[in-house]
Amino acid sequence: MDAQQLTTLAGVIDKKMNRQLKQYIDICARCAICKDACHQYVGTGDFKYLPARRAELIRQVYKKYFDKTGRFVPALYEARDPDDNLLDELYDSAYACTGCRRCMYYCPFSIDTAWILSVAKAILIAAGRGNEMLGQLADAAIFKGDNAEMFNDVMISGFEDIQEEVRAITGNPESQVPVNKQGADILYVALAGAHSIRPAAVIFEEAGESWTISMFEAANYGFFYGDAEKARLITKRYIDEAIRLGVKEIVVPECGHAYRVAEFFYEAWSKEPMPFKVSHILEKVDQYIKAGRITVDKGLIEGKVTYHDPCQLGRNGGKFEEPRDIVKAVTDNFVDLTPNRAEQWCCGGGGGIVAMEEFKDVRLASGIKKVEQLKASGASVLACPCENCRLQIEELNEVHELGLQVWQVIDLVVAAMPLKGKKPMQA
Amino acid sequence: MSEENKIDLELDLKGLLCPLPMVKVSQNIGKVEVGGIIRAVATDPGAMADIPAWAKSTGNEVLQAEKVDGQFVFLVKRVK
Amino acid sequence: METYLWITSVWGIYLAAIVFFGGMAWRIYEWSTTPKSPVRLGMFPKPKTKLGRFAKLMKDTFIAPQSAKIEPTMWIFAFAFHVAALGAFVGHARLIHEFPFLPELLGEAGMNTFAAWSGSIAGVIMLAGVLYWIARRTYGPFKNLSVPEDYLLLFLLLGVVTMGDHMRFVYGDIVHAATYREWFLSVITFRPEIPHELLASNVGISLGTHMLFTNLFLMYFPFSKLIHSIGSFSSNLVRSE
Repeated sequence: MDAQQLTTLAGVIDKKMNRQLKQYIDICARCAICKDACHQYVGTGDFKYLPARRAELIRQVYKKYFDKTGRFVPALYEARDPDDNLLDELYDSAYACTGCRRCMYYCPFSIDTAWILSVAKAILIAAGRGNEMLGQLADAAIFKGDNAEMFNDVMISGFEDIQEEVRAITGNPESQVPVNKQGADILYVALAGAHSIRPAAVIFEEAGESWTISMFEAANYGFFYGDAEKARLITKRYIDEAIRLGVKEIVVPECGHAYRVAEFFYEAWSKEPMPFKVSHILEKVDQYIKAGRITVDKGLIEGKVTYHDPCQLGRNGGKFEEPRDIVKAVTDNFVDLTPNRAEQWCCGGGGGIVAMEEFKDVRLASGIKKVEQLKASGASVLACPCENCRLQIEELNEVHELGLQVWQVIDLVVAAMPLKGKKPMQA
Repeated sequence: MSEENKIDLELDLKGLLCPLPMVKVSQNIGKVEVGGIIRAVATDPGAMADIPAWAKSTGNEVLQAEKVDGQFVFLVKRVK
Repeated sequence: METYLWITSVWGIYLAAIVFFGGMAWRIYEWSTTPKSPVRLGMFPKPKTKLGRFAKLMKDTFIAPQSAKIEPTMWIFAFAFHVAALGAFVGHARLIHEFPFLPELLGEAGMNTFAAWSGSIAGVIMLAGVLYWIARRTYGPFKNLSVPEDYLLLFLLLGVVTMGDHMRFVYGDIVHAATYREWFLSVITFRPEIPHELLASNVGISLGTHMLFTNLFLMYFPFSKLIHSIGSFSSNLVRSE
């Protein structure tokens, strides 16, 4: 790389600079307390996954180009160029990071390593080294948004099929999966997969909710890819849809990052206040159960049940109790994992890592803490909301022969509902 | 139309939840030559939008996307 | 020795003070003029009230309970070091003015004994903390993570603490606070002079070296990671946003 390219890449840091980022870079004492907080470092012992080290790469470039002291005495800070060597390590440390922010929880200065790594990803993208798979997934989602009419028929026919399945489950021929329903109270933005729509539809219909299904999915690979503009466009698809339909509330599926993106990021990206409320599906289900709008029977779920807090939903989303209350409503045999809630171990499947084959080894190795926790709980059923978590834990389940049943929380709820129709198979 | 297309790679994506079928097609497209064809069978209806959208945005071509006996069958041609 | 003391313990202090306060002001200016992140970077559990957030900020900054949980040994050394440093800092206030009440309560000799004990304890704890951190940076991931800045700061700190301890343990019974106060007050009132008692004994070497390290330490402070001393307040506050 020539000097011009290096300067351009380093310049990304300056463009993305803000007060928090500057302070994180300036104050880290490299005490390495974060080392044992990171499931990837603990699982692999590989230095490049130590959170402070991941951040250090960005600090080294920052010191070389933008920090007065770093420019004065670069050797003191091991300041360096964003050359190929640095980018190689940066690629691994940034794209492998699941963004769980467990390191931030334990850091005495609350340094958000994932936020620093968002700059790392921006540098990699500028260098043409953004992760290809995540980039493609993001582009495909944007393409769907730009050409919605192209997919209208297949989407609607898909929803009709799901509606048939929903009717079979509820035993009610009137049950619906409403599409494009103007003036509905809720726009439910599911995932592309039918498994995220079917049980939610059963619950909404049984609760007598006024809802409609979104033509788009809530998953956001632009967020994982590290491109805020792509991520904004992907979210904007359903925000515009919600405005068009005049709904009061957007409900996102169990998926962890979808909630965080909608609730915490979108307004900052779009620089506009959102004209409606964002809720997580499990908040709604918890309300339905507590208000008696749906009935769940205990005893229909067999075995000891435990719950895993997806990082984006728990530590980063604040939804600790609602999912637990739901699980406790369907079984008396509940046991929590240790540690739990804000201290919950990341399963290792977040941040889009399940879609990136090249990180398979570190991903599976990083699941060791989760495996230990699951074994120690003695549970035979795991309620687990996030899609990425579930994919990861199902694979760990197989590799480590845990013999665990891994359920979406809403599937657990549907299984515990006394419905006239046939019991659905677990998704 | 599928008769005249030689299949270079078969992908069984049954049971995979979206967006994984799209991910698998993307991960495997490099395994066939340019002009080669992947036949993928998925069960998640979301793939009906996902895979064509992926193909359009990556410049590949979906020759067929059909529902056959409750399964979704795709023929994807690698263009570049 | 008189020249050494004039350089390190008079003019050096003026220079260090200018660089330290100027540097800190520059740091705060840089931070405050950089726009805040538009994204809320907080994490949960998150207090709902302003008071709750303030209380959590104080707890996270001064106690760091989460850090204590994940690495107790490191936390004990770090916590003890910071408390001892604060104690030592407060103790140095005797250089400006005798504490109110304490001398009346303890008597002149009693006050010196109390100061000797508390100063000794603080000095030993700080030395232990610095040695612990140096040792920690000599192996494994801690070594790999360390950059020259880390060692430079620890070296300066070691110099400050060792020479401070030297004055406390070797000359503690010979030279008392009143002598140092005479010197220090003269410096901060811009009528610098070096008292004869300091020149008469070898304590001048210790004092001069203690001040040399202290000045270097303070001059580097605003340009090093040590600005976590002020930055951690706002970074910990962001946690609740």
